[in-house]
Amino acid sequence: MSRYARITDNIDWGLITTALAIVFIGLLCLYSSSRGTGMAIFYKQLMWIAIGVLVMIVVFVVDYRVLLRSAWPLYILMIFGLVLVLVIGREISGARRWISLGPMGIQPSELAKVLMIIWLAYWGEQKKHIQGYGIRELVLPTFFILIPVGLILVEPDLGTAGIVALISCTLMLLLGIKRSTFIGLLVLFVSAMPFVWFSLKEYQRMRILTFLDPSRDPLGSGYHAMQSKIAVGSGGLLGKGFLEGTQTQLRFLPEHHTDFIFSVVAEEWGFAGSALLLLLYVALVTKITQIGFKAKDRFGTMICFGVAAYFTLHIFINIAMAVGIFPVVGVPLPFISYGGSFMLINWLCIGLVLNIAWRRFMF
Amino acid sequence: MIWNMNNTNNIPGPHIDDDLKWKAKIFIAFVFVLFTILLLRLMNMQVFKGSYYEGLARNNRIRIVSIPAQRGKILDRNMEVLADNRPAYNLIAIPEDISDVSFIAHRIAGILGIDEEDMVEKIRDAKKRPYDPVALARDISFHQMASIETQLYTLPGLSIDATSERDYVLKELGAHVLGFLGEISRKQLEGLKPGSPYAPGDPIGKTGVESICEETLRGTKGVRVFEVDAMGRKTKILDEKPPVPGEDVVLTIDKRLQLAAYKSMAGRAGSVVAMDPGTGDILAMVSSPSFDPNLFLSPMTPKAWKGIIEDPMHPLENRPIRGQYSPGSVFKVIIAALALRNNFITPQDTVYCPGAYSLGDSTFKCWRRGGHGNMDLVSALAQSCDVYFYVLGERLGIDRISSFCTDLGLGRPTGVEFKDELSGLVPTKEWKYRRFGEQWQKGESVITAIGQGFTLVTPMQMAKVMSSVVNGGNVLTPRVLGSTEISKERTLNIREADLAVIKEGLREVVESEKGTARAVRNPEFVMGGKTGTVQVVRGYTSNLPDQSDLPYKLRDHAWFFGFSPVENPEIVVVAIVEHGGSGSSIAAPVVRDVIKEYYAGKGPGDEQVCQDNR
Repeated sequence: MSRYARITDNIDWGLITTALAIVFIGLLCLYSSSRGTGMAIFYKQLMWIAIGVLVMIVVFVVDYRVLLRSAWPLYILMIFGLVLVLVIGREISGARRWISLGPMGIQPSELAKVLMIIWLAYWGEQKKHIQGYGIRELVLPTFFILIPVGLILVEPDLGTAGIVALISCTLMLLLGIKRSTFIGLLVLFVSAMPFVWFSLKEYQRMRILTFLDPSRDPLGSGYHAMQSKIAVGSGGLLGKGFLEGTQTQLRFLPEHHTDFIFSVVAEEWGFAGSALLLLLYVALVTKITQIGFKAKDRFGTMICFGVAAYFTLHIFINIAMAVGIFPVVGVPLPFISYGGSFMLINWLCIGLVLNIAWRRFMF
Repeated sequence: MIWNMNNTNNIPGPHIDDDLKWKAKIFIAFVFVLFTILLLRLMNMQVFKGSYYEGLARNNRIRIVSIPAQRGKILDRNMEVLADNRPAYNLIAIPEDISDVSFIAHRIAGILGIDEEDMVEKIRDAKKRPYDPVALARDISFHQMASIETQLYTLPGLSIDATSERDYVLKELGAHVLGFLGEISRKQLEGLKPGSPYAPGDPIGKTGVESICEETLRGTKGVRVFEVDAMGRKTKILDEKPPVPGEDVVLTIDKRLQLAAYKSMAGRAGSVVAMDPGTGDILAMVSSPSFDPNLFLSPMTPKAWKGIIEDPMHPLENRPIRGQYSPGSVFKVIIAALALRNNFITPQDTVYCPGAYSLGDSTFKCWRRGGHGNMDLVSALAQSCDVYFYVLGERLGIDRISSFCTDLGLGRPTGVEFKDELSGLVPTKEWKYRRFGEQWQKGESVITAIGQGFTLVTPMQMAKVMSSVVNGGNVLTPRVLGSTEISKERTLNIREADLAVIKEGLREVVESEKGTARAVRNPEFVMGGKTGTVQVVRGYTSNLPDQSDLPYKLRDHAWFFGFSPVENPEIVVVAIVEHGGSGSSIAAPVVRDVIKEYYAGKGPGDEQVCQDNR
C-alpha cells in the first residue's frame, strides 16, 4: 500500500462530508436571505468557506502534539488579541469586538474559544495524575479561565463570554472534580446569581427579562424573538419553499444572515428541513466524540470533547433562541451563520479533530 | 452503542482512561438530551402549531418605516449657509395596505394633478416589495399635503411624511464645490455592506462636498414601528426612535469671494481658484459656466437633462480640478525660482532680447516683435520677455525643469478633497519617448520654459504652485474642508533674497509702467501677479492683432495669477478664461475683483473681531 493511499484512507471523510452538507444548507439560506440586500455577503461567505477549508488542511497536516508544546504561547497570544481588541478595536454599536485588518475584520474572541480548549486539554494532560480536583487544584485553572472570559465580558460580548465559560466548565467536569467540591461550587454558583444579575448591562438584563415575558418589549429583543418564532412556526411540516419565506423575504426577520439564520432554514424548509439539519449536527458531534474515545492520548481526547462541546453549545443556544426557549444572545450557528472569523474557527476545529483521528495510527 | 466502536475496531488500542470514559458518556447523553429538546420544540411549533403561526405570518400587522434624518448644512468659513434644508412633504405608501389600487391611484392623481395611469403603475410596481414603504410623490405642495391629510382616513395605506429637502441657496454659485444629492443608484446599493443605512430611494451625495462628507452630513435615520388594522390604517404607534440629524460641515470657502469670482466670470468659460498661501485653504473655487444643483434633486425632464449635457460649454465639468491647460507665461515664475535657487542666474545678470532667439535651425520669437532690449530677471518677469526665459530654459534643460515641477506637486492631483481630480502633465524625456517614440528636442525645453510646451496644469495646481512660490517655498496641500492643521508636503529651499527678487518682478507686472498687467493697477491695494496667454492653435493666433476677429474656439486662453499683499501674501488668486484672448486684458481683472472683495470683506470684519475682544 502506498504511503499516499494510507494517508487518504485514514482521513475521516464522514466528518468532512457532514460539515460540507451543513455548509451547503447554510449557503442556500444565505442566498435566500441576502437576495434583497445585495449578494455581496453571499460571495464573501463562499470565500470564507474556501479559506476555512484551507485552514482545516493546514491544521490537519501539522501533528497536533505540537500544540501541547505551544499551549502557553497560544494562551498568551489569545490574551494579547483580547487586550488588543479593547485598545484598537472598531467600536460598533457600543461594543469592541473587531480588529480591522485591511478590508476585513477579525474577532479575537472567536479564536479564544478554540485556544481555550487547547489550553485546557494541555492542562488536563499535564495534571493527568490528579484524580478528582479539589478546591486547591481548581484555583489555578479557574484563574486562567477567568482572564479571557473577563476580557470578553469587557468588550462586551455576553454570548461569547458565556460560551467560553461553558466550554471550560464542561472540560473541567470531564477532568473530574471531587464530589464534595462539586456540590459546594454548585451551591456557591446558585447563591451568586443575584450578584451576576446586577453586574449585567441594562440591555443584557432587558433581554433576559424580555425572554421571560416577551410582551415587555415587543420592539427590541422581544420583537426579534416573536418574529423569529413566527418564521419558524409558519414553516410547517414541509416549509414554504426555497426563496418563498415571507418572514425572511419581507425582512420581518432581523439579523437573518447571522444570529437568526436558523429561522430561514425552518421557514423555507419546514420541520423536514430543520430536523434534517439537526440530524446532521448530531452526526457531526457524535463523530467528534467517537474520535475523542479513540484518540491515542488524553490531550487528543480532551480536544475532541472540547470541540464537541463548542459545537453543541453554539448549535443549542442558537436554535433555542430562534425557537424562543432561550434569551436572545449573539451566538452564531456553526457552518451556517454569516461571519468570517466564526467560519474559519469552525473549519479549524474540524481540522484539529481530523488530525487527532488520523494520528491515532502513528507512533 | 454508537460511540463504543473502540471495542470493535481492530486498530491499536484506545487510550481513554476509565475515569474519563464514564464522564464522557454522561456528556454524550447530555448532548442527546439537548438535541431532543430542540427536536421536540420544533415539532411542536412547526407540525402541531404550524397553522397558528402561519396565520400570524400572514397577518403580520407590524409595519416599520424609517424616518429620514435631516442632513447637515454646508457652511462657508464665516458660517454663512451654502447648502440648507427646507421643509418638504412626501406622500408615502405601504403597498401591502393598498387593496384597491385603481381607487387610490384615482384619488391621488386627482389631488396632485398627475397622470392616473402612471400612479397605478407605480403602486403595482411597489407591490413587489409590499412591506417596504415607498414615496409615491415627493415634495408635494403645502396645499396638496393639507388636502390629502384631511382625507387620510379614506385612503388606507397612505401617509404623509414631513421631511426636508436640500436647498442649494447659492444656486449656480457653488455648484461644483458643493456638488449635489441624488437618489442612490442600483449599483451603489448592490455594493453595500450588510447593515449599511441606505435603502432604495435614499438620497446620497453624488459629487463635490456632498459626496466627500456624505457620512458626516447624512445623520442617522430614525425608525417608527406601528400596528395597522386589517384595512391598513395606522392604529397605534408601538415605538419611535427619533432620527439623529447630520452634522454641519464648514468649508474654507468664503461666500463673498466665491460670489465676486463668479460674477466676474459671467458669460465666460473658465475657472477661478483663490487660496490662502499660508494654510492651503481654498477661499473660492469657481467653474464657469455653472448649473443649478437644485435641478438634480428631483427627477429631471429629458429635455432639461439634454440641455445640460449637450451644452457646448460643458457646465457640469469641474474645471478647477479637471480642466488641463498649458500654463503659458505664468510658468516663467517657476523657471525664475528654479534658476535662482540652482544658481543658473543672478538677479543682476542681463540677457539682450532682440525679439527672437535662435537655436540651431530654429528661431523662437518673443511676443514683442521689436524686442525688449537688455533684460534682468525683474524686468523679464514684469514685461514677460520670452527670450530671457528661452535662454534659461536652454541652460536648465528639461530634466531639471521637470524634476522641480514634480517637487512643486505638478503632474499629480493636488490632494484637495475632491475625488476626480486630473493630474495634468509634466513632460520628461522618457515620457516623450514613450508617447511619441521620438527623442526630446532642445527646442522643446526652450518653449517649455515659457509654458508653451507639453506641460499641462489644472487651475487648482496652478494655485497650489503659485502659493508655494510666494509663501517662500512651502508646498501646501489645498483643502476645502475647514481644519486647524496645515498639511505641508515639502519645502523648496528658496532663499529669502531670491524670493524678494521674484516678488519684485511680479509686483512690477502690475505696478510698473511697462508691466503686462498695469491696466488692473488700482489705488486701494498693491498686488503682484503674472499674465499668461496660451495659444490654442500654435503659431497662428499670435500674428493677429485682435483676437476677437478669430472664431471663438481658436482664440487664446487667458491666464492670470495674482497675490496680495506682496510682502506677506494672504491671498493667491488664479484665473483662466478659456478662449479669452490675452491674460492681461481678460483674466487679470477677474483676479483683481476677487482680491478687491477680499479686502472689502476683511476691513470691517477685523474691526468687528477687535471690538468683540475688548
